[in-house]
Amino acid sequence: MRALALHGLRHRFGDRAALDDLSLDVAAGEVVAMVGLNGAGKTTALRILTGRLHPQQGTAHVLGADPATLGTTAARRFGHVVGAALVSPDLTVTENVRTAALLHGVARADVPAASAAVVHRLDLDAWAGARARTLSAGNAQRLGIACAVVHGPSALVLDEPTSALDPRGVMLVRELVRSLADGGAAVLVSSHHLDEVARVADRVVVVHGGRDVGELAPGPEMEQRFFARVLEADAGRSGSAV
Amino acid sequence: MTGLGTALRVEALAWRRSTVQRIATPLVLVLLPLASVGTTALARSGAVDGAGAAKLADYAHGPLAVTHLTVAGQVLAVGLLMAAGFAYAAVFGQPLADGRAGSLFGLATQRSTIAQARCLVVLGWAAGCALAAVSLTVVASTAVVTVGGETFTDEAWATAGQALLVGLLAACLAPPFAAVATATRSPLATVGTLIGVVALTQVVVLVGGGAWFPYAVPSLWTGMGGVQVAASVTPAALGLTAAVAPAAIAVVVRQWRRLTDV
Repeated sequence: MRALALHGLRHRFGDRAALDDLSLDVAAGEVVAMVGLNGAGKTTALRILTGRLHPQQGTAHVLGADPATLGTTAARRFGHVVGAALVSPDLTVTENVRTAALLHGVARADVPAASAAVVHRLDLDAWAGARARTLSAGNAQRLGIACAVVHGPSALVLDEPTSALDPRGVMLVRELVRSLADGGAAVLVSSHHLDEVARVADRVVVVHGGRDVGELAPGPEMEQRFFARVLEADAGRSGSAV
Repeated sequence: MTGLGTALRVEALAWRRSTVQRIATPLVLVLLPLASVGTTALARSGAVDGAGAAKLADYAHGPLAVTHLTVAGQVLAVGLLMAAGFAYAAVFGQPLADGRAGSLFGLATQRSTIAQARCLVVLGWAAGCALAAVSLTVVASTAVVTVGGETFTDEAWATAGQALLVGLLAACLAPPFAAVATATRSPLATVGTLIGVVALTQVVVLVGGGAWFPYAVPSLWTGMGGVQVAASVTPAALGLTAAVAPAAIAVVVRQWRRLTDV
Protein backbone atom coordinates (compact mmCIF):
# COMPACT_ATOMS: atom_id res chain seq x y z
CA MET A 1 0.00 0.00 0.00
CA ARG A 2 1.29 3.46 -0.93
CA ALA A 3 1.15 5.87 2.00
CA LEU A 4 0.18 8.78 -0.24
CA ALA A 5 -1.54 8.19 -3.56
CA LEU A 6 -3.23 10.26 -6.23
CA HIS A 7 -4.77 8.48 -9.17
CA GLY A 8 -6.25 9.96 -12.34
CA LEU A 9 -7.02 13.32 -10.77
CA ARG A 10 -8.90 15.82 -12.89
CA HIS A 11 -10.11 19.14 -11.62
CA ARG A 12 -11.17 22.34 -13.35
CA PHE A 13 -11.62 25.83 -11.99
CA GLY A 14 -14.07 27.32 -14.47
CA ASP A 15 -12.56 26.95 -17.95
CA ARG A 16 -9.08 26.20 -16.64
CA ALA A 17 -7.95 22.63 -16.09
CA ALA A 18 -5.88 22.66 -12.89
CA LEU A 19 -5.35 18.90 -12.95
CA ASP A 20 -5.48 16.76 -16.05
CA ASP A 21 -5.14 13.08 -15.19
CA LEU A 22 -2.46 13.46 -12.55
CA SER A 23 -1.26 10.31 -10.83
CA LEU A 24 1.46 10.09 -8.22
CA ASP A 25 2.30 8.01 -5.22
CA VAL A 26 4.73 7.99 -2.34
CA ALA A 27 5.85 4.88 -0.51
CA ALA A 28 6.75 4.65 3.15
CA GLY A 29 10.31 5.84 3.73
CA GLU A 30 10.36 7.83 0.51
CA VAL A 31 10.67 11.57 -0.15
CA VAL A 32 9.02 12.60 -3.41
CA ALA A 33 9.33 16.17 -4.65
CA MET A 34 6.75 17.62 -6.97
CA VAL A 35 8.21 20.41 -9.07
CA GLY A 36 6.56 22.62 -11.64
CA LEU A 37 5.93 26.14 -12.79
CA ASN A 38 3.40 28.40 -11.13
CA GLY A 39 -0.10 27.15 -11.94
CA ALA A 40 1.12 23.67 -12.81
CA GLY A 41 -1.38 22.09 -10.42
CA LYS A 42 0.90 21.21 -7.51
CA THR A 43 -1.04 23.00 -4.79
CA THR A 44 -4.39 21.81 -6.16
CA ALA A 45 -3.10 18.24 -5.92
CA LEU A 46 -1.93 18.82 -2.35
CA ARG A 47 -5.25 20.39 -1.37
CA ILE A 48 -6.99 17.25 -2.61
CA LEU A 49 -4.53 15.07 -0.71
CA THR A 50 -5.29 16.95 2.50
CA GLY A 51 -9.06 16.65 2.03
CA ARG A 52 -9.59 20.36 1.44
CA LEU A 53 -10.83 19.94 -2.11
CA HIS A 54 -12.87 17.11 -3.64
CA PRO A 55 -11.54 16.15 -7.07
CA GLN A 56 -14.03 16.19 -9.92
CA GLN A 57 -12.49 12.93 -11.12
CA GLY A 58 -9.98 10.47 -9.73
CA THR A 59 -9.09 9.30 -6.26
CA ALA A 60 -6.73 10.25 -3.46
CA HIS A 61 -5.59 8.17 -0.52
CA VAL A 62 -3.70 8.97 2.66
CA LEU A 63 -2.54 5.88 4.54
CA GLY A 64 -5.20 3.93 2.69
CA ALA A 65 -8.06 6.27 3.55
CA ASP A 66 -9.99 8.90 1.63
CA PRO A 67 -8.56 12.24 2.80
CA ALA A 68 -11.99 13.87 2.67
CA THR A 69 -13.25 11.53 5.37
CA LEU A 70 -10.00 10.68 7.10
CA GLY A 71 -10.68 8.69 10.26
CA THR A 72 -8.95 9.36 13.56
CA THR A 73 -6.53 6.44 13.20
CA ALA A 74 -5.13 7.65 9.88
CA ALA A 75 -5.34 11.31 10.88
CA ARG A 76 -3.16 10.69 13.94
CA ARG A 77 -0.40 9.63 11.53
CA PHE A 78 -0.83 12.43 9.00
CA GLY A 79 0.70 15.90 8.91
CA HIS A 80 0.57 18.68 6.37
CA VAL A 81 1.34 22.30 5.65
CA VAL A 82 -0.41 23.46 2.50
CA GLY A 83 -0.82 27.22 2.50
CA ALA A 84 -1.51 28.50 6.01
CA ALA A 85 -0.22 26.27 8.81
CA LEU A 86 -1.96 25.09 11.97
CA VAL A 87 -0.81 28.20 13.77
CA SER A 88 -2.76 30.74 15.78
CA PRO A 89 -1.13 34.18 15.50
CA ASP A 90 -2.06 35.11 19.08
CA LEU A 91 -0.44 32.07 20.70
CA THR A 92 3.24 31.72 21.50
CA VAL A 93 5.48 29.28 19.67
CA THR A 94 5.26 26.77 22.52
CA GLU A 95 1.49 27.15 22.88
CA ASN A 96 1.03 26.67 19.14
CA VAL A 97 3.10 23.50 19.04
CA ARG A 98 1.37 22.13 22.13
CA THR A 99 -2.12 22.81 20.83
CA ALA A 100 -1.14 21.28 17.49
CA ALA A 101 0.07 18.20 19.34
CA LEU A 102 -3.25 17.91 21.17
CA LEU A 103 -5.24 18.30 17.95
CA HIS A 104 -3.04 15.66 16.30
CA GLY A 105 -3.98 13.25 19.07
CA VAL A 106 -0.81 13.23 21.14
CA ALA A 107 -1.57 12.10 24.70
CA ARG A 108 -1.64 15.07 27.09
CA ALA A 109 1.15 13.66 29.21
CA ASP A 110 3.41 13.44 26.17
CA VAL A 111 2.64 16.89 24.78
CA PRO A 112 5.30 18.94 26.65
CA ALA A 113 8.16 16.62 25.71
CA ALA A 114 7.03 16.21 22.10
CA SER A 115 6.62 19.97 21.72
CA ALA A 116 9.95 20.83 23.31
CA ALA A 117 11.71 18.30 21.09
CA VAL A 118 10.34 19.69 17.84
CA VAL A 119 10.86 23.31 18.92
CA HIS A 120 14.48 22.46 19.62
CA ARG A 121 14.83 20.47 16.44
CA LEU A 122 13.71 23.41 14.32
CA ASP A 123 15.87 25.80 16.35
CA LEU A 124 12.94 27.81 17.67
CA ASP A 125 14.01 27.72 21.35
CA ALA A 126 14.92 31.40 21.35
CA TRP A 127 11.39 32.29 20.24
CA ALA A 128 9.53 29.74 22.38
CA GLY A 129 7.71 32.45 24.33
CA ALA A 130 7.13 34.79 21.37
CA ARG A 131 3.70 35.20 19.86
CA ALA A 132 3.45 33.72 16.37
CA ARG A 133 2.36 37.06 14.90
CA THR A 134 5.68 38.60 15.94
CA LEU A 135 7.86 36.02 14.18
CA SER A 136 9.78 36.64 10.99
CA ALA A 137 8.48 34.86 7.87
CA GLY A 138 11.19 32.23 8.15
CA ASN A 139 10.57 31.50 11.81
CA ALA A 140 6.82 31.41 11.18
CA GLN A 141 7.40 28.87 8.43
CA ARG A 142 9.49 26.70 10.73
CA LEU A 143 6.78 26.98 13.38
CA GLY A 144 4.18 25.79 10.86
CA ILE A 145 6.34 22.78 10.03
CA ALA A 146 6.89 22.10 13.75
CA CYS A 147 3.12 22.04 14.25
CA ALA A 148 2.74 19.60 11.35
CA VAL A 149 5.33 17.11 12.58
CA VAL A 150 5.05 17.32 16.38
CA HIS A 151 3.18 13.98 16.45
CA GLY A 152 5.76 12.17 14.30
CA PRO A 153 3.59 11.56 11.24
CA SER A 154 3.86 8.52 8.98
CA ALA A 155 2.71 10.59 6.01
CA LEU A 156 3.65 14.21 5.52
CA VAL A 157 2.68 16.72 2.85
CA LEU A 158 4.56 20.02 2.61
CA ASP A 159 3.87 22.78 0.10
CA GLU A 160 6.90 25.01 -0.50
CA PRO A 161 8.37 24.25 2.94
CA THR A 162 11.54 26.29 2.42
CA SER A 163 10.19 29.29 0.50
CA ALA A 164 10.88 31.81 3.29
CA LEU A 165 13.81 30.14 5.00
CA ASP A 166 17.40 31.25 5.33
CA PRO A 167 20.17 28.73 4.49
CA ARG A 168 20.23 27.39 8.05
CA GLY A 169 16.46 27.00 8.09
CA VAL A 170 16.60 25.18 4.76
CA MET A 171 19.20 22.82 6.18
CA LEU A 172 17.12 22.17 9.32
CA VAL A 173 14.01 21.37 7.32
CA ARG A 174 15.96 19.21 4.91
CA GLU A 175 17.41 17.21 7.79
CA LEU A 176 13.99 16.90 9.42
CA VAL A 177 12.35 15.67 6.23
CA ARG A 178 15.14 13.22 5.56
CA SER A 179 15.09 11.84 9.09
CA LEU A 180 11.31 11.42 9.05
CA ALA A 181 11.62 9.47 5.80
CA ASP A 182 14.50 7.42 7.18
CA GLY A 183 12.20 6.61 10.08
CA GLY A 184 9.61 5.23 7.66
CA ALA A 185 7.46 8.26 6.83
CA ALA A 186 6.23 9.01 3.33
CA VAL A 187 6.93 12.64 2.48
CA LEU A 188 5.54 14.58 -0.47
CA VAL A 189 7.07 18.01 -0.99
CA SER A 190 6.13 20.62 -3.52
CA SER A 191 8.85 23.09 -4.37
CA HIS A 192 10.27 25.55 -6.87
CA HIS A 193 13.77 25.12 -5.48
CA LEU A 194 15.20 22.50 -7.81
CA ASP A 195 18.65 22.37 -6.24
CA GLU A 196 17.11 21.98 -2.82
CA VAL A 197 14.80 19.11 -3.79
CA ALA A 198 17.72 17.44 -5.52
CA ARG A 199 19.40 17.18 -2.12
CA VAL A 200 16.50 15.70 -0.21
CA ALA A 201 14.22 13.83 -2.61
CA ASP A 202 14.41 10.22 -3.66
CA ARG A 203 12.28 11.01 -6.69
CA VAL A 204 11.47 14.29 -8.41
CA VAL A 205 8.20 14.38 -10.34
CA VAL A 206 7.65 17.16 -12.86
CA VAL A 207 4.08 18.43 -12.97
CA HIS A 208 3.12 20.58 -15.91
CA GLY A 209 -0.32 21.57 -17.15
CA GLY A 210 -1.91 19.51 -14.39
CA ARG A 211 -0.16 16.31 -15.48
CA ASP A 212 2.82 14.25 -14.42
CA VAL A 213 5.19 14.75 -17.35
CA GLY A 214 7.97 12.54 -16.09
CA GLU A 215 10.59 12.23 -13.42
CA LEU A 216 14.03 13.75 -12.97
CA ALA A 217 16.81 11.85 -11.33
CA PRO A 218 18.03 13.97 -8.40
CA GLY A 219 21.47 15.29 -9.26
CA PRO A 220 23.32 18.03 -11.08
CA GLU A 221 21.86 20.37 -13.73
CA MET A 222 18.33 19.97 -12.45
CA GLU A 223 17.27 23.30 -13.87
CA GLN A 224 18.30 22.46 -17.43
CA ARG A 225 16.71 19.03 -17.26
CA PHE A 226 13.54 20.46 -15.74
CA PHE A 227 13.07 23.00 -18.53
CA ALA A 228 13.88 20.39 -21.14
CA ARG A 229 11.12 18.21 -19.70
CA VAL A 230 8.65 21.09 -19.63
CA LEU A 231 9.44 22.10 -23.20
CA GLU A 232 9.14 18.50 -24.30
CA ALA A 233 5.71 18.29 -22.64
CA ASP A 234 4.59 21.50 -24.32
CA ALA A 235 5.82 20.26 -27.68
CA GLY A 236 4.02 16.97 -27.19
CA ARG A 237 0.82 18.73 -26.24
CA SER A 238 0.90 21.10 -29.24
CA GLY A 239 1.84 18.15 -31.46
CA SER A 240 -1.12 16.13 -30.27
CA ALA A 241 -3.33 19.19 -30.71
CA VAL A 242 -2.21 19.38 -34.33
CA MET B 1 -8.17 12.63 24.14
CA THR B 2 -9.07 13.79 20.62
CA GLY B 3 -12.67 14.82 21.05
CA LEU B 4 -14.60 17.81 22.20
CA GLY B 5 -12.56 18.13 25.41
CA THR B 6 -9.34 18.64 23.45
CA ALA B 7 -10.97 21.05 21.06
CA LEU B 8 -12.49 23.05 23.92
CA ARG B 9 -9.13 23.27 25.63
CA VAL B 10 -7.40 24.47 22.47
CA GLU B 11 -10.13 26.88 21.41
CA ALA B 12 -10.46 28.35 24.89
CA LEU B 13 -6.74 29.12 24.94
CA ALA B 14 -6.85 30.64 21.46
CA TRP B 15 -9.87 32.77 22.37
CA ARG B 16 -8.35 33.88 25.68
CA ARG B 17 -5.26 35.09 23.83
CA SER B 18 -7.09 36.62 20.86
CA THR B 19 -7.01 40.34 20.18
CA VAL B 20 -10.77 40.39 19.58
CA GLN B 21 -11.44 39.01 23.05
CA ARG B 22 -8.92 41.36 24.64
CA ILE B 23 -10.73 44.34 23.15
CA ALA B 24 -14.33 43.14 23.46
CA THR B 25 -14.27 41.98 27.09
CA PRO B 26 -13.21 45.29 28.69
CA LEU B 27 -15.55 47.18 26.35
CA VAL B 28 -18.55 45.15 27.49
CA LEU B 29 -17.57 45.16 31.14
CA VAL B 30 -16.82 48.88 31.33
CA LEU B 31 -19.43 50.26 28.97
CA LEU B 32 -22.43 48.45 30.42
CA PRO B 33 -22.23 49.80 33.99
CA LEU B 34 -21.24 53.21 32.64
CA ALA B 35 -24.15 53.28 30.18
CA SER B 36 -26.62 52.08 32.80
CA VAL B 37 -25.67 54.53 35.52
CA GLY B 38 -24.81 57.34 33.09
CA THR B 39 -28.04 57.16 31.08
CA THR B 40 -30.12 57.17 34.25
CA ALA B 41 -28.16 60.11 35.68
CA LEU B 42 -28.58 62.00 32.42
CA ALA B 43 -32.32 61.33 32.31
CA ARG B 44 -32.72 62.63 35.86
CA SER B 45 -30.39 65.60 35.54
CA GLY B 46 -32.80 67.78 33.59
CA ALA B 47 -29.93 68.69 31.28
CA VAL B 48 -31.61 67.09 28.26
CA ASP B 49 -34.69 68.52 26.61
CA GLY B 50 -36.69 68.06 23.43
CA ALA B 51 -36.43 64.74 21.59
CA GLY B 52 -33.61 63.57 23.86
CA ALA B 53 -35.73 64.08 26.95
CA ALA B 54 -38.60 62.20 25.35
CA LYS B 55 -36.33 59.23 24.62
CA LEU B 56 -35.02 59.25 28.18
CA ALA B 57 -38.41 59.86 29.80
CA ASP B 58 -38.80 56.23 30.94
CA TYR B 59 -35.59 56.51 32.96
CA ALA B 60 -36.40 59.86 34.59
CA HIS B 61 -38.52 58.41 37.36
CA GLY B 62 -38.94 55.25 39.44
CA PRO B 63 -36.55 53.53 41.85
CA LEU B 64 -32.97 54.38 40.89
CA ALA B 65 -31.45 50.89 41.11
CA VAL B 66 -34.34 49.33 39.18
CA THR B 67 -33.83 51.88 36.43
CA HIS B 68 -30.07 51.17 36.31
CA LEU B 69 -30.71 47.47 35.90
CA THR B 70 -33.48 48.01 33.37
CA VAL B 71 -31.10 50.06 31.22
CA ALA B 72 -28.45 47.36 31.70
CA GLY B 73 -30.82 44.74 30.33
CA GLN B 74 -31.73 46.92 27.37
CA VAL B 75 -28.11 47.65 26.53
CA LEU B 76 -27.13 43.99 26.92
CA ALA B 77 -29.95 42.87 24.62
CA VAL B 78 -28.29 44.60 21.66
CA GLY B 79 -24.74 45.10 22.88
CA LEU B 80 -23.97 41.50 23.72
CA LEU B 81 -25.52 40.28 20.48
CA MET B 82 -23.27 42.68 18.60
CA ALA B 83 -20.16 41.71 20.62
CA ALA B 84 -20.73 37.97 20.25
CA GLY B 85 -21.70 38.40 16.60
CA PHE B 86 -18.41 40.23 15.95
CA ALA B 87 -16.61 37.46 17.82
CA TYR B 88 -18.16 34.77 15.61
CA ALA B 89 -17.34 36.82 12.52
CA ALA B 90 -13.71 36.92 13.65
CA VAL B 91 -13.20 33.33 14.78
CA PHE B 92 -15.10 31.70 11.90
CA GLY B 93 -14.90 34.21 9.05
CA GLN B 94 -11.25 35.24 9.32
CA PRO B 95 -9.65 31.75 9.18
CA LEU B 96 -11.82 30.92 6.19
CA ALA B 97 -10.91 34.21 4.48
CA ASP B 98 -7.15 33.89 5.04
CA GLY B 99 -6.88 30.14 4.44
CA ARG B 100 -6.00 29.09 8.02
CA ALA B 101 -9.14 26.94 8.10
CA GLY B 102 -7.42 24.57 5.68
CA SER B 103 -4.99 23.53 8.40
CA LEU B 104 -7.91 22.06 10.37
CA PHE B 105 -8.37 19.29 7.80
CA GLY B 106 -6.86 15.86 8.30
CA LEU B 107 -6.46 16.20 12.07
CA ALA B 108 -7.16 13.56 14.70
CA THR B 109 -9.60 16.07 16.16
CA GLN B 110 -12.29 16.47 13.53
CA ARG B 111 -12.81 19.96 12.14
CA SER B 112 -16.53 19.79 12.94
CA THR B 113 -15.62 19.12 16.59
CA ILE B 114 -13.27 22.10 16.53
CA ALA B 115 -16.08 24.24 15.08
CA GLN B 116 -18.44 23.05 17.81
CA ALA B 117 -15.87 23.90 20.47
CA ARG B 118 -15.31 27.31 18.90
CA CYS B 119 -19.05 28.00 19.06
CA LEU B 120 -19.24 26.89 22.69
CA VAL B 121 -16.22 28.90 23.76
CA VAL B 122 -17.62 32.16 22.34
CA LEU B 123 -21.05 31.33 23.76
CA GLY B 124 -19.51 30.70 27.18
CA TRP B 125 -17.51 33.91 26.93
CA ALA B 126 -20.65 35.89 26.07
CA ALA B 127 -22.53 34.31 28.98
CA GLY B 128 -19.63 35.11 31.28
CA CYS B 129 -19.60 38.69 30.03
CA ALA B 130 -23.33 38.98 30.75
CA LEU B 131 -22.83 37.72 34.29
CA ALA B 132 -19.80 39.94 34.95
CA ALA B 133 -21.36 43.03 33.36
CA VAL B 134 -24.60 42.71 35.33
CA SER B 135 -22.60 42.09 38.51
CA LEU B 136 -20.52 45.21 37.91
CA THR B 137 -23.69 47.18 37.21
CA VAL B 138 -25.15 45.97 40.50
CA VAL B 139 -21.99 47.11 42.28
CA ALA B 140 -22.04 50.52 40.54
CA SER B 141 -25.76 50.91 41.14
CA THR B 142 -25.42 49.99 44.82
CA ALA B 143 -22.72 52.62 45.21
CA VAL B 144 -24.87 55.27 43.52
CA VAL B 145 -28.08 54.50 45.42
CA THR B 146 -26.23 54.32 48.74
CA VAL B 147 -24.77 57.78 48.14
CA GLY B 148 -28.29 59.00 47.32
CA GLY B 149 -29.68 57.55 50.55
CA GLU B 150 -31.72 54.80 48.84
CA THR B 151 -31.47 51.04 49.24
CA PHE B 152 -30.95 48.25 46.74
CA THR B 153 -34.40 46.66 46.88
CA ASP B 154 -35.71 43.19 46.09
CA GLU B 155 -37.26 44.67 42.95
CA ALA B 156 -33.78 45.81 41.92
CA TRP B 157 -32.43 42.28 42.45
CA ALA B 158 -35.28 40.89 40.36
CA THR B 159 -34.49 43.38 37.59
CA ALA B 160 -30.82 42.38 37.81
CA GLY B 161 -31.88 38.76 37.37
CA GLN B 162 -33.91 39.70 34.33
CA ALA B 163 -30.97 41.70 32.89
CA LEU B 164 -28.77 38.62 33.28
CA LEU B 165 -31.34 36.42 31.53
CA VAL B 166 -31.62 38.99 28.76
CA GLY B 167 -27.84 38.91 28.37
CA LEU B 168 -27.87 35.11 28.17
CA LEU B 169 -30.67 35.22 25.60
CA ALA B 170 -28.72 37.78 23.56
CA ALA B 171 -25.72 35.42 23.67
CA CYS B 172 -27.95 32.59 22.43
CA LEU B 173 -28.87 34.68 19.38
CA ALA B 174 -25.24 35.05 18.24
CA PRO B 175 -24.25 31.50 17.04
CA PRO B 176 -26.19 31.86 13.76
CA PHE B 177 -23.48 34.36 12.77
CA ALA B 178 -20.96 31.53 12.98
CA ALA B 179 -23.08 29.81 10.34
CA VAL B 180 -23.20 33.01 8.30
CA ALA B 181 -19.41 33.40 8.57
CA THR B 182 -18.93 29.80 7.44
CA ALA B 183 -21.31 30.22 4.52
CA THR B 184 -19.91 33.57 3.36
CA ARG B 185 -16.28 32.84 4.37
CA SER B 186 -16.00 36.53 5.13
CA PRO B 187 -15.88 38.39 8.45
CA LEU B 188 -17.03 41.57 6.75
CA ALA B 189 -20.09 39.94 5.20
CA THR B 190 -20.90 38.45 8.59
CA VAL B 191 -20.73 41.82 10.31
CA GLY B 192 -22.90 43.25 7.53
CA THR B 193 -25.46 40.52 8.12
CA LEU B 194 -25.33 41.17 11.86
CA ILE B 195 -26.07 44.86 11.35
CA GLY B 196 -28.81 43.92 8.89
CA VAL B 197 -30.45 41.60 11.42
CA VAL B 198 -30.38 44.33 14.08
CA ALA B 199 -31.99 46.75 11.60
CA LEU B 200 -34.56 44.13 10.56
CA THR B 201 -35.40 43.60 14.21
CA GLN B 202 -36.26 47.29 14.52
CA VAL B 203 -38.59 46.99 11.53
CA VAL B 204 -40.25 43.85 12.91
CA VAL B 205 -40.80 45.59 16.25
CA LEU B 206 -42.17 48.71 14.53
CA VAL B 207 -44.76 46.68 12.64
CA GLY B 208 -45.76 44.96 15.87
CA GLY B 209 -44.42 41.49 15.16
CA GLY B 210 -41.69 41.41 17.77
CA ALA B 211 -42.97 39.04 20.39
CA TRP B 212 -42.45 36.00 18.16
CA PHE B 213 -39.24 37.18 16.49
CA PRO B 214 -36.31 35.78 18.54
CA TYR B 215 -34.00 38.74 17.83
CA ALA B 216 -36.60 41.17 19.21
CA VAL B 217 -37.59 39.16 22.26
CA PRO B 218 -34.79 40.17 24.70
CA SER B 219 -35.25 43.90 24.05
CA LEU B 220 -39.01 43.74 24.22
CA TRP B 221 -38.86 41.72 27.44
CA THR B 222 -36.88 44.52 29.10
CA GLY B 223 -39.63 46.98 28.23
CA MET B 224 -38.08 48.74 25.24
CA GLY B 225 -41.40 48.45 23.41
CA GLY B 226 -43.41 49.48 26.45
CA VAL B 227 -44.86 47.66 29.44
CA GLN B 228 -47.74 46.14 27.48
CA VAL B 229 -45.47 44.61 24.84
CA ALA B 230 -43.09 43.35 27.53
CA ALA B 231 -46.00 41.53 29.15
CA SER B 232 -46.83 39.89 25.81
CA VAL B 233 -43.44 38.10 25.73
CA THR B 234 -44.37 34.53 26.65
CA PRO B 235 -42.18 31.80 28.15
CA ALA B 236 -42.53 30.05 24.79
CA ALA B 237 -40.98 33.07 23.05
CA LEU B 238 -38.12 33.05 25.58
CA GLY B 239 -37.64 29.33 25.06
CA LEU B 240 -37.61 29.77 21.28
CA THR B 241 -34.97 32.48 21.65
CA ALA B 242 -32.79 30.24 23.83
CA ALA B 243 -33.21 27.39 21.31
CA VAL B 244 -31.55 29.45 18.59
CA ALA B 245 -28.10 28.66 20.03
CA PRO B 246 -28.20 24.83 19.93
CA ALA B 247 -29.95 24.87 16.56
CA ALA B 248 -27.32 27.19 15.08
CA ILE B 249 -24.44 25.20 16.57
CA ALA B 250 -25.87 22.03 15.01
CA VAL B 251 -25.95 23.83 11.65
CA VAL B 252 -22.34 25.02 12.06
CA VAL B 253 -21.16 21.49 12.92
CA ARG B 254 -22.86 20.17 9.80
CA GLN B 255 -21.37 22.96 7.68
CA TRP B 256 -17.86 22.19 8.90
CA ARG B 257 -18.31 18.45 8.43
CA ARG B 258 -19.19 19.11 4.79
CA LEU B 259 -16.74 21.97 4.24
CA THR B 260 -14.72 21.77 1.04
CA ASP B 261 -12.73 23.95 -1.38
CA VAL B 262 -10.75 25.58 1.42
